[in-house]
Amino acid sequence: MNNIVLKRESNTDFSSTDETSLLVVIFDSNPGQQFLRDNTHVLTHCLDSIIAFSNAHLMQKAQNKLAVMACHSKTSQFIFPGPGKPIDIRQTDGQYEIFTMVEKTIKHNLSKLLGSDISNILTESLLAGTIAMALCYIARMQRIKSPGIKINSRILLVTGSSDSASQYMNYMNVFFTAQKHNVVIDVCALDQHLSLLQQGCDITGGLYLKLPQLQGLLQYLLWVFLPEPPIREKLVLPPPVKVDYRAACFCHRELIDIGFVCSVCLSIFCKFSPICTTCHTVFKMPGPLAVKQKKKKLKL
Amino acid sequence: MADNGTGASSSLNSTLIKPTNLECKNLYDYLKTRTHNVLEKLYNHPTICLAVYRELPELARQYVIRILFVEQPVPQAMVASWGSQAFSKEHVYVSKVLSELCVWQEANIPGGLLGWILLPTFKRNLKVALLGGGKPWSMSSALEADSKARDVSFLDAYSLERWECVLHYMVGSQQQEGISADAVRILLHAGLMRRDEEDGSPVITRQGFQFLLLDRHAQVWHFILQYLDTVEQRGLDLVECLTFLFQLSFSTLGKDYSTEGMSSGLLIFLQHLREFGLVYQRKRKAGRFYPTRLALNITSSQNKGGITADEDTHKGYVVVETNYRVYAYTDSNLQVALIGLFTELMYRFPNLVVGVITRDSIRQALRGGITADQIIGYLRQHAHSQMIQQETKNPLPPTVVDQIKLWELERNRLTYNEGVLYSQFLSQADFNVLKEYAQSSGHLIWCNKEKRTLVINKSAHDDVKKFWKRYSKGN
Repeated sequence: MNNIVLKRESNTDFSSTDETSLLVVIFDSNPGQQFLRDNTHVLTHCLDSIIAFSNAHLMQKAQNKLAVMACHSKTSQFIFPGPGKPIDIRQTDGQYEIFTMVEKTIKHNLSKLLGSDISNILTESLLAGTIAMALCYIARMQRIKSPGIKINSRILLVTGSSDSASQYMNYMNVFFTAQKHNVVIDVCALDQHLSLLQQGCDITGGLYLKLPQLQGLLQYLLWVFLPEPPIREKLVLPPPVKVDYRAACFCHRELIDIGFVCSVCLSIFCKFSPICTTCHTVFKMPGPLAVKQKKKKLKL
Repeated sequence: MADNGTGASSSLNSTLIKPTNLECKNLYDYLKTRTHNVLEKLYNHPTICLAVYRELPELARQYVIRILFVEQPVPQAMVASWGSQAFSKEHVYVSKVLSELCVWQEANIPGGLLGWILLPTFKRNLKVALLGGGKPWSMSSALEADSKARDVSFLDAYSLERWECVLHYMVGSQQQEGISADAVRILLHAGLMRRDEEDGSPVITRQGFQFLLLDRHAQVWHFILQYLDTVEQRGLDLVECLTFLFQLSFSTLGKDYSTEGMSSGLLIFLQHLREFGLVYQRKRKAGRFYPTRLALNITSSQNKGGITADEDTHKGYVVVETNYRVYAYTDSNLQVALIGLFTELMYRFPNLVVGVITRDSIRQALRGGITADQIIGYLRQHAHSQMIQQETKNPLPPTVVDQIKLWELERNRLTYNEGVLYSQFLSQADFNVLKEYAQSSGHLIWCNKEKRTLVINKSAHDDVKKFWKRYSKGN
């Protein structure tokens, strides 16, 4: 009656981790975006791709979680899970019930949002604010989870608007908050290159992709953004490009290469000001720079 | 290997040391043993494709989703280049899994290259599950609202009661209720119980004890697998039953589903599931049923905690202290009996049992065929929420865990090999030659220079004998 230690199969270390993965997709549905104004039906295409991608995320593991947000010029909203009770769905085709529910909810809530927003259209979307909301949502999910469960959270931002330096401070705040909470921010740029958001990806360890062509959106999403951060190291993904780390000055919100930094609060200015506008420290006017005579090095 | 003199050379019959542990298969192991034809038939249903997809290793899931929308075969070299170099072993492994489950097949690409292409049925039906289209699943015909709708807590209580009924029957505790002859037959078939030699009444086997210590999901899955083995003898169609089972597993808790259009075989299957608590039906002919938590995500027995704990069903009741005391807050006889398997019970109160883990109690459990891992797994899985909060990674005191493992290792100090003893060599040289030969071929079990004795693997006896004959002739 001896127990023989059964040889553990070697596949145990290949098996997937049993952690929950929470994905918050932020879809920039602002109708003011350049590429949407050129061609309005692109929005449907993008939405279909995002729904398919979201369902693919839910398909990965039974315990995966999803939230989808829509971002506008004046407001940002959760479109999945929507407010109130989840709508009751009976299957109409072979699709998995939950996927049907996701699709219907997203379409319903987004059309409600788009229908209500008829005020003057701005081109700028409230991206930083939406990310902040997403972070709050993630924090809540972390708080209400039952003990002993690990949740990996990440945010995927799909946008075609340009990033404006006017939101620079807000961006940096959400990026560093995300970094502190171990939330990965991925960005998929549909239309223009977004240097500020690229910084955010770099800070939080996410991926940044400028879409080469809009047609293949779903395939790009599935290839690059579906793998979770732990498995990304096992795959060959687009290598990180050089990140443009220019900061925006606090006075005119412009990206600058060289500027003045307050020695007390580290605020950045493009021009010298005698009183720091952030912390009100008084600086002396700089005198003429003393030019030191350089010693010539002896050449051997 | 040789000169340690422990004398581990008793020639024990190898049939004595066959592993009798409970073998727990996951979906992959189960499907691997099915034939290609059965697999193809199974993949005709989106539910099964979905279940199989979720059961694939992580990397394989990425591969499949990447080629899901590709119509031509993809060169194998290209697929290999998707994974980074450091994980090439994993790539080989997942390729094997995908081929074994017939998820993808080899295909020729013009130009002489070999490529992978997803099985067309699998691809089509996975797309249906993900994106829609195709026929609705069989149980989702429209229903008017149930006048006596059941809520989630009712279903939970119901399924718990039914399942515990089966477990209670196994341990033969007093609380038992009637359990059908069918269920008993499955338990006997699974080897979890066997007929007593004297009076023919079923008694629990050591596999049965190991079964009791599994978590609920694993228990249900193991039980259902055993049931499926017998399904064809009952004249039911395996593919049909499996499809229905997975449909159940992807249904929503607290929602009612229709039995309309189900074949008579499936209706029988449904009644069996009802008995084990996987579905709730008010009446046999009610025309509608509610899946319970037991049926949901039935294949995910591996990912512990994930779903169950998620929905606040995690009701841990065991506290283990570093002084080896176990406090179990329970009034269920079953749970007390389980705790009693590997502890010495000290006190018993209406809602609390106190026991202590001792060397003797653990050794008794080990003798009964339970492994240390199973004991630790049980304690961990039922750990009180207070214990989980302290340390997220390991709720049990490490000293207790280590000690239980050491007590198990204590019993495994001896290994048994069948061997043949060679002795009475005439000269040291002869002894050395034979020893060298045996050692080089790896058949030497033990040797002693002073006494000039060798023990050689039994299987190599003929070979060594031949060598010896040749050698002595040559001299």
